[in-house]
Amino acid sequence: MKFFTPFRKKSPWILHYNAGSCNGCDIEILAALGPKFDLERFGVINTGNPKQSDIFLVTGPVTYRSRERLVELYTQIPEPKVVVAVGSCTTTGGVFRGMYNVEDGIDRYIPVDVYIPGCASSPQLIIDALVKAGEILESKSKAIEKPFKLFGAIETIGNKLSRLNMAKKVHDDED
Amino acid sequence: MTWIWIVLAPLLGGLIYGGERVLRARMQRRQGPPLLQPFYDMFKLLDKRTLILHAPHALLAVAHFFVLWFTVAAIFLGWNLIYIIFLHLFAQILLILAGYSVRSVYSHLGANRELLMVVAYEPVLILVAVGFYLISGSFEITTILQGDGYWHQLPLLFVALLIIVPIKVKKSPFDIGEAHQEIVGGIEIEYSGVFYEFLYMSRFLEYLFIYSFVFLFGGESYWLGAVLVAGVFLLVNLVDNATARVHAADMVKIVYGFAMSFAIINILGVLL
Ligand code: SF4
Repeated sequence: MKFFTPFRKKSPWILHYNAGSCNGCDIEILAALGPKFDLERFGVINTGNPKQSDIFLVTGPVTYRSRERLVELYTQIPEPKVVVAVGSCTTTGGVFRGMYNVEDGIDRYIPVDVYIPGCASSPQLIIDALVKAGEILESKSKAIEKPFKLFGAIETIGNKLSRLNMAKKVHDDED
Repeated sequence: MTWIWIVLAPLLGGLIYGGERVLRARMQRRQGPPLLQPFYDMFKLLDKRTLILHAPHALLAVAHFFVLWFTVAAIFLGWNLIYIIFLHLFAQILLILAGYSVRSVYSHLGANRELLMVVAYEPVLILVAVGFYLISGSFEITTILQGDGYWHQLPLLFVALLIIVPIKVKKSPFDIGEAHQEIVGGIEIEYSGVFYEFLYMSRFLEYLFIYSFVFLFGGESYWLGAVLVAGVFLLVNLVDNATARVHAADMVKIVYGFAMSFAIINILGVLL
């Protein structure tokens, strides 16, 4: 509804996922949430629960181990949702680019709305990105957004559910 | 007039919750969210796509909210205290059933802990009601509010109530039912969108429920009641910021060891 849309920006709840990062950016996120930078003044809460989050903060290049969980978490966040890639390695692979056990960035698997540069990116940049993410959140509709690829169990279940079936179709079109 | 307050009860609770978030932020030297933040959250949750596991699970949250609202209404109308305590127990049981009705492990853990919390605070609440009865001769809130202050006759019962307030408002050291860092909200975990909002608002009503018990200690002087509530509110938040969560079993030991014995000693003292 039109009336409620402005409030999306005022209470963006975040879900933070570490897809194999070096922990540098995770510490910066925690610093941004801490007393000095105090993200809570924008209404941000670190929920830790995908079903109640709006913004998906991902750090790290996607390691082979973590990609399944990354996609699963993404599909569990109800729309409208925004994905923020924190740090160079999340956006392009950064220092890990070309390594044998990582993918180069998360946008091979899920659509990303905001990229944050920096290795490690600073709390100021993270705050900036969250403000931007709030604006994008406001402009989004409640239409289902899908990941580019699915894996393992979620793919089998997903084929049975219309919600994820679409993701499978996108995947098939690519091949 | 009372009816208006009853209808506005969730809004009042929301204001208290918003004020508390600001207060806690100030205690940590942060700026904190705006006062109306809980309402922004509510409006946002209304506008989210809702994922439902199965219908009873979602409806139990709604039922929990409305029974709790009815409980708060009963308090405002000045009904029987024992009746109010058991209505509240009924609301908690609906929530616990919701926790057990899904297959999520965290939801089960949360429901187990919620049950432990009920076991811990319920006897103390009833003893508090018994204490009021012994002094004022009635369980009716309207009669209790005509007495001239209970707090000098029931000091240990007040301390007992003070120990269980953090359990009810889910604050450290007794926030075991929510425990965001270990079980991610417990029962709340499988809810999203509109149905999570009902749980979010029922937390506001819990605030009204437990703080109205504190208010009753003021008796006929509403000013004393208000001062007591404000003092307990500050103290609970101070303790919340300064302590870590205790183990679930330890919570029951602490409540049974201290709160219960304080309450019983006080009641014996009044009787003898
Ligand atoms: S961008 Fe740099 S600091 Fe941040 S997680 Fe990647 S490697 Fe670590």
